Amino acid sequence: MIRLMTLAAACLILAACTTTNVKSAAGLPTAPPQNAKVLVSQPDIELSVLTASGITEPRADWTASAKTYMQSAVQTELQGRAHKFTVLDPSTAMEGREGQVIRLNGEVGKSILVFNYGVLPLPTKAGGFDWTLGEGAQLLATKYDADYALFVYGRGSYSSGARVAMMIGAAALGVGLPTGGQQVFASLVDLKTGKVVWFNVSQAAPGTDMRTPEGATLLTKSLLKGIPL
Amino acid sequence: MSRRPALRAAVSVILAASFATTALTPAFAQRAVGARPDIATDEGGLWAQSDKAETEARSKAELNTDPALTAYVRGVSCKVAAEYCGEVRVYVMDRPYFNAQMAPNGYMEVWSGLLLRVRSESELAFVLGHETSHFAHGHSLAAWRDMKARANVGMFLMVAAGGGALGNLLYLGAVSGMFAFSREQEEDADQLGFGLATKAGYDPAAPATLWRALKAETASSDFEKVRKQDTRASIFATHPVTSDRIAALDKLAAGLPPAPAAEAERVRYRAAIRPHLAAWLADDLRRRDYGQTLHLIDRLAADGEDLGVLEFYKGEAYRRRRLDGDQDKALAAYVAASARPDAPVALWRELGDMQMKASAPDKARAAYETYLAKAVDAQDRWIVEASLKKINGTSGT
Repeated sequence: MIRLMTLAAACLILAACTTTNVKSAAGLPTAPPQNAKVLVSQPDIELSVLTASGITEPRADWTASAKTYMQSAVQTELQGRAHKFTVLDPSTAMEGREGQVIRLNGEVGKSILVFNYGVLPLPTKAGGFDWTLGEGAQLLATKYDADYALFVYGRGSYSSGARVAMMIGAAALGVGLPTGGQQVFASLVDLKTGKVVWFNVSQAAPGTDMRTPEGATLLTKSLLKGIPL
Repeated sequence: MSRRPALRAAVSVILAASFATTALTPAFAQRAVGARPDIATDEGGLWAQSDKAETEARSKAELNTDPALTAYVRGVSCKVAAEYCGEVRVYVMDRPYFNAQMAPNGYMEVWSGLLLRVRSESELAFVLGHETSHFAHGHSLAAWRDMKARANVGMFLMVAAGGGALGNLLYLGAVSGMFAFSREQEEDADQLGFGLATKAGYDPAAPATLWRALKAETASSDFEKVRKQDTRASIFATHPVTSDRIAALDKLAAGLPPAPAAEAERVRYRAAIRPHLAAWLADDLRRRDYGQTLHLIDRLAADGEDLGVLEFYKGEAYRRRRLDGDQDKALAAYVAASARPDAPVALWRELGDMQMKASAPDKARAAYETYLAKAVDAQDRWIVEASLKKINGTSGT
């Protein structure tokens, strides 16, 4: 799946100079009504370092910073909107059925990236955007008294210095080595039906390094641009 | 790593000679109790991924949620892990393969296929001690660094590493691929695990007994490929058992007095797994290696306990294998099970079917009637009722 995400990332880079690409559920009233209760899940982010030989090694410190900065950027971005937001803490929410629903969102999001963003178009998904987490999502609605949930999910790697040197060396020989890259997606889910009503993906560009507060802010702005909240 | 048996075998021949004269000395540093790595280090990264995998494990469908069994296994683990008791967290997963695995952060999985093959608490204690040793000696970090070093030499591992999928790999037991412990690490863990288990009062002969049993089961496989692998049967792949590992354990046990309460702890162990015996045997049959399952059942039956369950599953193995003569063997096993008070209710349905195949309608009728009397709420009652009607000459539908 990660490999597919990398593919998706590569396609996005090649396809357009814009870094985001919004999908909305067709035929649904995507904009939640005023004062809707929206559950904001803390971002699920994993960052790693891409070593010279191409192995990615998880970096817990980068992951922790990115989570903190993205979380606060998302909250800032949502401030002042006419909805009631509550924060979902994954340290308690990842257990049991609830955790399964949240993990399912990650898997559905990765499928959306693969099948709706031109990597492997599915004939059955050509007609529109009709992804759902299923009625199991109601569990979150009941538990947190919420109408919608907003999820942010990010994966990525940063090239190590040795990797960059290796890339330059290889390029001189005419060989292109993949570089690190970071991708985040956001999905807005109607918790009554489980339907993904709005989805956006953002590819980090120079200046949007989510390991810094400024980068996280810029990345979040592009990620949540046009969110119907 | 683990996928290169030929090379490994060659290496083992060379090393076996040196081990004959060299005492095994741990070359791995002991982890400080309670130490948590700095998150900015490679170890910190591995721990964070393991923490995530552990949380996920807790909501997996395969997690065995029986509080009594979990408490029992954790209790044994604690005795063996001694000072690491607070850091080693054991989860029982219902998976029909012989496996126990230790993640870098102390999250340990013990699979039902292992618990089914362990015969006593001493054998379990050794396995848990072995896994604790991987933790105590930081084997996974060493393996990770080793892999990185080798990858830096040869760039071809780039694709094989599969990006940042470490979390998934950790989970799926592909730990064997990513964290395959080296031969030296396995031997180190055997040695330290032996020390931990015997220090906790467990039987010094148990470790070698367990490894021997695994080898014997491998030799009973239906599949030539598995039998030939001898030291490395498919289901024991993450813990390849080599003859010199057994010899090393025998050497450690030599001269030590046997544990005084061996029989008591065997009985205690069986009592702990008894509630799960039937479900685990049913899972084991799904591996479709009936030779191994039958060998396993014989081993479990050697103590003369749980014979109703064991003979029923013996019958199930023969019924599914369907080689020449298996039908008769299945019937014999079912009949034997039917005389036991602990025979599962399903036995009577299968016995009825098998008696029908053997053209013994009167015996079939008796078995079906017993099934209907015992399985009051069974969903398949109507099928058995239809079979009965057929025997009695009325319409089967």
